[in-house]
Amino acid sequence: MLKNYMTVAFRSLANNRAFALINILGLAIGMAACLLLLLFVRYETTYDQWLPGHETAYQVQTFHNDPENGRTSAQQMSAYVVGRTLAKDFPEIAQVAYVSMGKPVILQDGAATTAEVMMAERNFLDIVQLPLVRGDRRTAFRDMNSLLLTQSEAAKRFGSADPMGKTLSMVRNGKTVDYRVTGILKDIPRNSHIKMAYLVPFNPDLMGWQPEFYKAYGWNSGYNYVQLKPGKSFADIEPRLAAWEKRNIAPNNVGGTMVSEGDTTDWKLAPVTAVHLGPATDSAMTPTNDAKSITTFALIALLILTMACINFTNLSTARAGHRAREVALRKVMGASRRQLIIQFLGESLLVAGLAMVVALAIVELVLPRLSDFLGADLNLRYFGDGGVLLPVLGLTLLVGLAAGAYPALVLSGFDPAPVLKSNRSGTETASGGVARLFGAGGLRSALVVLQFAVSIALTICTAVVTAQTFYARSADAGYSRDGLLQVTGIGRKQIQPVADNMVEAIGRIDGVHGVGRTTIGVATDSRINTLVRVDGNPQPVLMSSYNVDTGFFKAMGLKPLAGRDFDRANPHDDAQFPEGDMAAQAALAGRGINILVNASGAKQLGFANPADAVGKTIRTGMVDEKFGLVPTTIVGVVPDIQLRSFREPVEPIMFVYDRSYMSDMVVRVDAARAGAVRDKVEAVWKSYAAQVPFEAQFADAIVAQQYDADEARAKTFAGFAGLAIFVACLGLYGLAAFTAERRTREIGIRKVLGARNRDIVRLLVWQFSRPVLIANLIAWPVAWWLMRDWLDGFARRIDLGPQWFVLAGLLAAGIAAATIIGHALRVASRSPALALRYE
Amino acid sequence: MLKLSSLRKAYRTESVETTALDNIDLQIDAGEFVAIMGPSGCGKSTLLNIIGLLDRPTAGDYSLEGREVARLTENELTDIRKRRIGFIFQNFNLIDELSVRENVELALLYHGISAAERKTRVDAVLDKVGIAHRAGHRPSQLSGGQQQRVAVARAVVAAPPMILADEPTGNLDTAHGEEVMRMLRALNDDGATIVMVTHSPAHADYASRTVNMLDGRVLIETRRAA
Repeated sequence: MLKNYMTVAFRSLANNRAFALINILGLAIGMAACLLLLLFVRYETTYDQWLPGHETAYQVQTFHNDPENGRTSAQQMSAYVVGRTLAKDFPEIAQVAYVSMGKPVILQDGAATTAEVMMAERNFLDIVQLPLVRGDRRTAFRDMNSLLLTQSEAAKRFGSADPMGKTLSMVRNGKTVDYRVTGILKDIPRNSHIKMAYLVPFNPDLMGWQPEFYKAYGWNSGYNYVQLKPGKSFADIEPRLAAWEKRNIAPNNVGGTMVSEGDTTDWKLAPVTAVHLGPATDSAMTPTNDAKSITTFALIALLILTMACINFTNLSTARAGHRAREVALRKVMGASRRQLIIQFLGESLLVAGLAMVVALAIVELVLPRLSDFLGADLNLRYFGDGGVLLPVLGLTLLVGLAAGAYPALVLSGFDPAPVLKSNRSGTETASGGVARLFGAGGLRSALVVLQFAVSIALTICTAVVTAQTFYARSADAGYSRDGLLQVTGIGRKQIQPVADNMVEAIGRIDGVHGVGRTTIGVATDSRINTLVRVDGNPQPVLMSSYNVDTGFFKAMGLKPLAGRDFDRANPHDDAQFPEGDMAAQAALAGRGINILVNASGAKQLGFANPADAVGKTIRTGMVDEKFGLVPTTIVGVVPDIQLRSFREPVEPIMFVYDRSYMSDMVVRVDAARAGAVRDKVEAVWKSYAAQVPFEAQFADAIVAQQYDADEARAKTFAGFAGLAIFVACLGLYGLAAFTAERRTREIGIRKVLGARNRDIVRLLVWQFSRPVLIANLIAWPVAWWLMRDWLDGFARRIDLGPQWFVLAGLLAAGIAAATIIGHALRVASRSPALALRYE
Repeated sequence: MLKLSSLRKAYRTESVETTALDNIDLQIDAGEFVAIMGPSGCGKSTLLNIIGLLDRPTAGDYSLEGREVARLTENELTDIRKRRIGFIFQNFNLIDELSVRENVELALLYHGISAAERKTRVDAVLDKVGIAHRAGHRPSQLSGGQQQRVAVARAVVAAPPMILADEPTGNLDTAHGEEVMRMLRALNDDGATIVMVTHSPAHADYASRTVNMLDGRVLIETRRAA
């Protein structure tokens, strides 16, 4: 019996190769897309689950609510003091470790390089239990000069030599410290929120922080990790956090108003496994993702698989007529309906199985590329931990049964008498019956509509995401990116003594049109906020505050909207004072300083237009609290420029001319010979600071990187939209083929009655284009809603105009028409005599 | 009306050539009622298909209303067919998804006739064949005789000068068969040329001339006195 079933099943596939191909290929693509996306979803949702002891490890995160605009910014960093006082007040916390990231210059055999180095308190590895491949985890991180590095970094540094006991020097705040390798960390997998290659102990003596660092709740420049006692969770702590804030955070006096950091800020503990997809996305060590995107991807995976199943069901029932005579004969020979159902389910399982084999081949081929592209570490294993064999078998079974159940019921339900009596192939009689069952193909059309709705919606999303990414990369950011070179590392202690001379020397290079220093550059991370007082406003006003020098605005190509630029000859412009010099601070507080603000800053301070702000004095906390607030005069207003991502609105900024700390240097070079001039800048840099690596990038490259994730998302959408359209077209092609076959007689009649070939083609193309047009009605509102939501995340964005919707609709209709036109032509040119010949 | 000279039709497969029509010479005048008879497989339907421009001869000439049609393009054939020829089939060939009225209207759809005009003509012809009361029904809701009446209505609604009927009574009982034959007779009386393939000698008696075929050739022609 089974052999007979198998023979019939294989022959049925072999006899109808085109349909078999459509069925198997369609299902295979659906399954492959589903597997790929699900592997990605699993990868994204299992971040840090590989970490031993992850159940008790938490990261302290900071949520700041901006009362000015109601926006919440959530970051993974938290102030040093937050970890201390949490550990002090909550017995649920077993221990806390503070971690700070830095990029010191590393010296090895005279060569200077830089790398991301994690400086962590020495109990860090007890909380975040990164596995070691060499060294004893109880002792390796005990000494203040111990250094742990990852396997691959050790191999890079020391080649085949044993790295244990080797020495590396790091320059921190101008001080050189020797570290000895005491352990080798296993390479941190990509699915971790932690990214580092070097781990050294956190040494407050080397940090050069002001005493304020250890007390301020708003000083977020590192991470706190806590270990909860077994059985405890954040829920045990959360209700008592408000009281903890009140107890520990002392209000500051800002020009007479008492302001507490706790008023606008909340702290939460996130399990380390939930950091990657959590709400805190700022100051993350590795790019975060959001749960919504992951859900979207999972949904797309299921949709594509469903589409493939729909095709299978549609085609199988559509072709049911071809099997009617076999069914009738089997029934006459005594087959029960149950046996027939089993037979047809078996066939669909066979097709699903074949499709899965093809799907796995596709996955094996595509996965490494997709993995690379998404910057993920996706891999396909069949056996062992994370093996996909069982899920794959389950999926095959599910698809086989889900797609085959309905056709099996329809096929096994034929009444044998009319089929046999009508001395026909059975196509007519049986498909008439099927058509009635389907309400004259209504269900099938509905399913085609659904498939194209998904395809069109995905196409719209692809178009909008691509357009927004392009816009963000190319739209006017308020400054010219042409030939703008940004050099980082100018703030290093080693450079400070020579910085002024070096900047002047760079300014003299032929081909350099301007050079300046700043603490806010193109896509730099630093955020420095300060509260200022404006006369007549009882509330302090929050402003960003960044240092620049007198060359910055010229190098950026900005002219003041009102007032003037900083002037080196004007002593009131210069806000620099020797570190720790109290007399200088007192003098500064007495005489006051000059600042520039940007247009948003002027607005934030309450000035209707830029000119109104010029000459006005506000009060700022530039010096130690005991000297009071410093009278600060606005001498110029510069235009807003978009230095950060288009996701964020332009900050209200006050610019201070203070050369005591700068992070980046911007150099405007002759764009026509940018590469050559860059080399000259590097040569000058090396002549002044050979010990500090020259790290420079052109602005357009930096901006492009800002939107890499968006571009990857757009391309992923595009890929899967393409797949969805392909699967939908495959189904449409199969249905068109079947319908053309079923309508052969009707088409013959129409031709006998005078229909020309083009009438027939038009008839068929219209029949199948109609569901595609209707699909737009479903796709458009869904895509509009999704994309409006996504675009809302951008402060500057494209219009969600009708063009994207119309284009996607036309594209889908065009592709659908192209899919069926070949069929229609073939059918239309067939001789009606053949179609109408009776047996 | 039409003239076939040395007409030949052969079907080729990879290995075999089958001759369906062999050297046929036949002339049919306007207003004639010709019955074609012969055993199954003798080429009756093939001949009818060629006369109806549904198929092309392999060799020979075919002149219809004085025009050589054997080598016209597909579109030209379509154009002649829709204006000059009506078809009636043994198995009715009605479209299940369309109502009786829509099935008949189909024959006017490709003529560029206005909807109002189409309605008038369809109503008139449905009335003439006595099926007007079932105009809204689907073919599957009608008896065989009623279905064939619809097919006849469809064949004549565009008023073609020639009607080809391929075993029009083959699927009908005696009473319904007679009824269809009387309708064809009446159409012929009104001036239509009718060419009918039939197995029934009784129904062939309605024709003015009978052409007997065997193995793709015309065996004998019998003219009936008027």
